[in-house]
Amino acid sequence: MTLTRPLDRRTFLRASGVAMALPLLESMAPPLARAAAAASPKRLVTVCSTLGLYSSSWFPKTAGAGYEASEYLSLLDDHRSRYTVFSGFSHEEQSGRQPHNSEITWLTAARRPGLDGFRNTISLDQVAANHLGYVTRFPSVVLGTLSAQSQSFTSSGAMVPAETSPAGLFGKLFLQGTPDEVAREAQRLNDGGSILDRLKSQTTALRGRVSDADGRKLDAYFDAVRAAEQELTEVQAWLDRPKPVVDAEPPTDIPNPADLIGRIGLMLRMIPLILETDSSRVVSLMIHDHGVVPQVQGVSGDQHSLSHHGQDEAKIGQLKRVETEIVQAFRGLLDDLAGRGAADGSLLDHTSVLFGSNLGNANAHTPVDLPILVAGGDFAHGKHVAHEGEHNAPLCNLYVTLLQKMGVEADSFGQSTGTLTWS
Amino acid sequence: MKRTHSVCLAVLLAGAVSGGAAAQSFEADVAPLVETSCLTCHGPRTATPLDISTLGHDLSDRATFRAWERIHDRVANGEMPPAGVRRPDAAVVETALGSLKRALVDANLAARNGPRTPLRRLTRLEYAYTIQDLLGVDEAVGLDLSQTLPAEADSGGFDTVAANQSMSPLHVRSYLEAADRALDAAIRTGPRPEPVHHKIEYVKSQYLPAIENARALGLGIVKKLDDAFAAFFDFGSTYTFHSATEGYLTAAPGRYRVTVDAYPYQAETPVTVMVYRGKMAGVAASLDELIGTFDLTGPRTVELTPYMRPGDLIGLSVADLDGPPEGAPLLQPGDPSQGYGGMKDYPGEGIAFRSLSFDGPLLAGDAWPPASTRELLAGVEFDEWGEIVLTKAPYEHVVDVVASFAPRAFRRPLAAGELEAYASLAEPLLAEGRPFLEAVRVPLRAILSAPAFLYQIGDAGALDDFALASRLSYFLWRSMPDERLFDAARAGRLSDPAVLAGHVDRMLDDARAERFVEDFVGQAFRLYELRATTPDAGLYPEWDDRLGQALARETELFLGELVAENRGVDHLIAADFTFVNRRLAEHYGLTGVAGQQMRRVALPEGSPRGGLMTHASVLKVTANGTTTSPVPRGNFVLANLLGQPPAPPPPGIEGLEPDTRGTTTIREQLTAHRENPVCASCHRVIDPPGFALESFDPIGGFRTNYRASGGQVDYGGFTVDLPFSDGPPVDPSGITPAGDAFAGIADYKDLMLRNDVEQVARHLASQLLVYSTGAEIEFADRDAVETVVARLGDRGYPVRSMIHEVVQSDLFRSR
Repeated sequence: MTLTRPLDRRTFLRASGVAMALPLLESMAPPLARAAAAASPKRLVTVCSTLGLYSSSWFPKTAGAGYEASEYLSLLDDHRSRYTVFSGFSHEEQSGRQPHNSEITWLTAARRPGLDGFRNTISLDQVAANHLGYVTRFPSVVLGTLSAQSQSFTSSGAMVPAETSPAGLFGKLFLQGTPDEVAREAQRLNDGGSILDRLKSQTTALRGRVSDADGRKLDAYFDAVRAAEQELTEVQAWLDRPKPVVDAEPPTDIPNPADLIGRIGLMLRMIPLILETDSSRVVSLMIHDHGVVPQVQGVSGDQHSLSHHGQDEAKIGQLKRVETEIVQAFRGLLDDLAGRGAADGSLLDHTSVLFGSNLGNANAHTPVDLPILVAGGDFAHGKHVAHEGEHNAPLCNLYVTLLQKMGVEADSFGQSTGTLTWS
Repeated sequence: MKRTHSVCLAVLLAGAVSGGAAAQSFEADVAPLVETSCLTCHGPRTATPLDISTLGHDLSDRATFRAWERIHDRVANGEMPPAGVRRPDAAVVETALGSLKRALVDANLAARNGPRTPLRRLTRLEYAYTIQDLLGVDEAVGLDLSQTLPAEADSGGFDTVAANQSMSPLHVRSYLEAADRALDAAIRTGPRPEPVHHKIEYVKSQYLPAIENARALGLGIVKKLDDAFAAFFDFGSTYTFHSATEGYLTAAPGRYRVTVDAYPYQAETPVTVMVYRGKMAGVAASLDELIGTFDLTGPRTVELTPYMRPGDLIGLSVADLDGPPEGAPLLQPGDPSQGYGGMKDYPGEGIAFRSLSFDGPLLAGDAWPPASTRELLAGVEFDEWGEIVLTKAPYEHVVDVVASFAPRAFRRPLAAGELEAYASLAEPLLAEGRPFLEAVRVPLRAILSAPAFLYQIGDAGALDDFALASRLSYFLWRSMPDERLFDAARAGRLSDPAVLAGHVDRMLDDARAERFVEDFVGQAFRLYELRATTPDAGLYPEWDDRLGQALARETELFLGELVAENRGVDHLIAADFTFVNRRLAEHYGLTGVAGQQMRRVALPEGSPRGGLMTHASVLKVTANGTTTSPVPRGNFVLANLLGQPPAPPPPGIEGLEPDTRGTTTIREQLTAHRENPVCASCHRVIDPPGFALESFDPIGGFRTNYRASGGQVDYGGFTVDLPFSDGPPVDPSGITPAGDAFAGIADYKDLMLRNDVEQVARHLASQLLVYSTGAEIEFADRDAVETVVARLGDRGYPVRSMIHEVVQSDLFRSR
């Protein structure tokens, strides 16, 4: 349908003016953030390419420190000492009602997604966000390249909607708003606060008149109202503090979903800004199925149908072109994080970056032997850690380790059986 | 006080005693059957995984309950003891089953310990329609707002089921925000907006002449006529003829009358205009939603009234244009960079567009401020500039507004103190001197975020008339009751079965019943997944938006017809009619259908169509866009039609690897799979219906051979799909688990008509009950389902009657 003249993506990005350095004006940073910044806070970033990564091009054939980089990993060679690649990881019981359901459980490990009254559980990033709370303006930032669907879920299993507009996000993070706008927003939050307070008393009044089962539902509502009220108070407190000032033009959104790589790149470029200004310490990005033929040279199929290549060599070739661009975009994130320094190491050194997919073999929708990579975050890197054997190792053990690195005193998460250590 | 306590205690004791007695009698009553007929295989040290001798009889334990429930079902169905074993005495079986059933029901009810349906929240869709009906705003406003609420979790069941619904601070904050925006849309004051009239006359276009004369890639594809510009290819539609290149983008949101004036150009056969709503996406338009499809056989003016948001454009596209007649010089771009060189002498079919015009935003009625504002702000008057005029103390106005709005929002009369509790929220704002409209919004936002609005609240036991009105209207209209339902509830007459039935008929005949049909079909038959995959363009080049839209409408109209005409549930298996337009008729190989409007057609003798399983919609959602597999299709028949879902594959099972190279078929792969006895035990049941449906490709087209990918060629960076070729032949035959052989789908439908109509009826009744009451059917509820089924059997389970029976059932009429 679309026959747009393919714009040169790089021209576009230059024009949109996102790729720029952002010295953070320390004096503008809120006191809390500044205190924390002194100790270089730990950060967590997750990036999921939900249509899988072609196994033969992703996984190295040999394990250990001397592994030979695979086709895709050779694209990350500059960072070889800064990441670890894992094989043989999975969550158990991920065959859901729909074959792509495992994308909603990649960060949660809840079993049997979409089956038998399925309820999702809290996601890795939200555990970290709850632990940190409003120490930053945003406990977490949840991003998506196409739609509001995300992989981040609250403890009651509600999906946190993803931000899809880099321009909108930039506004929330860095644009101050006129005094009038700020005053109106403060008034709106204040009105919201008194509404929630009244809803609590109305819920209590109802509570006396209903059965136990209904009471439990009302209690959940009451708790949600109370928590929302607390959140509004925290949000209000941040409203009084100036937003960080960055030396950057706001990004321009790329409206065309066919510019898959451009949109991924634009979102990835927001992440270092979020972290360096300490606007949030927890970021998740879901790379969606864009449902259209991506503007990648030599590609005529949409990514989803290419992922069901049916062993057709031509399709595999096209799939690899798309995935190569995705891995290269991810390398851009690592370049950026590694290039931003703090006194005690680069931003990457203080940021655990989880990259991979919820599908092992997308052609057959297999949610085992997932492509998983961890970069940065002060781990001993440089290896291919292979989990051999018939049964895959629990990916959740890695998640526990990532949470502990964030300072969460957790000894379990999801399906974990322990922590994961490697060296 | 003391007295009450002792009464409660007595009730508790009675419960405990009767539970204990039931457990004892069930243990004693099943023992003869278990000892004589079960323990040989299901005893200590036997090969089967079930050992009844160690099972225990404490039905309050969930696993024990499930085990006995399964034993009950297998014996009741005659599956156990297995064929070939000596039959147990009928009286022994009857005693055991009767006692076991009573014990299971008692245990089920004891575990529930409260109403069957706990507090049920409005779903996103129900929120959308409720906002529309409560505030009198456009449907599009409600639907847009509902998209800002947290998505319903994919629980595998209906989103109406209370047990599957979550609540979070995120929900609460979203409700507050959505309420604010709903009120923005509902409260319109100030001067009446000036209507826009914008007419694009293509012959005067500043833009198209440049396209006509350009020689660069893909350009030069339009042709100027005396009174119009003609289009010849659909791929130009993202940058030609849409309203943005002609200088029109929507400014104010609302409904617009959109008029297209066009005629066929050099066309002998019907040609098609497609009207899209879209936005600019970079340099081109993204044509997001197909809002109308029209066949032209002569000059035609078509009119639509879409809802347009700021920045929206209207795009026009063309279809069914035949190329140049045989023998005419072919215009083929040997070198794409040379372009088509203009269409001056092109002899193929085209469509000439004369004009595209916009009128709007259209206002419902002449009143300004609109009715939605006047009804919401009950008692407030407006001056000639559309500004509010207060006639008494502002707080008294707030009380009036809340007194008229809250009972409708809560769908019941207000309880003591509620009016004051909500209205008084405005007091501090009024005291601060903030404007009336700001102050009155605070109670309104609170009402739209309150538990009484968001949840279906009612006392345990039989529903009172107001709760019954709500359950009924959310079932059939996905929204709040209308005034006539409220009137019946206020008069206390709705519980009268005849009055209730009258309202069911009235509501099913109302256009709002389409909301029910669409949502039910979307969830029960998975049509909501229709757009989850895009068919592979190389293998299925005939797929397009028109077809996608027609597929969904076929199934919706089909179910709507079963409801409207009270047709039997057997039509879900096979029918001699369906709904098509010309596009879908071509897809199905049906002739004699002109025009793009959907209509009912009789199917010719021997057509594989008719019945839900062979709707292209169902065939598409059970494929992945590129390939088909008998497994998801067999699963659909078992789970969604018969309500007997197979167990999921055991952990560690690899999925089958699709292969489109044309070497092996999925059947060959499955055959290998079934040689493993563990796999075979389930696949002997799953695969047969899937085999019968192998005659249909991933977009629901009939096939005798699989398509094999033709691969691609690369023209200097431009990849072109080569035509597919015929792959191996399809084998749609199989043998059912009962041993019946079938040659293909026709035989398979006959087998189902013979054996499965009652089970299809049972499943549909059960689904309607789950969907409408918001709770799953558990063991204790089965008799209620059986009652519905039994009352319809002699009439062939007509669907409208089934809805009546569901509404009159005890499950529907009580919490």
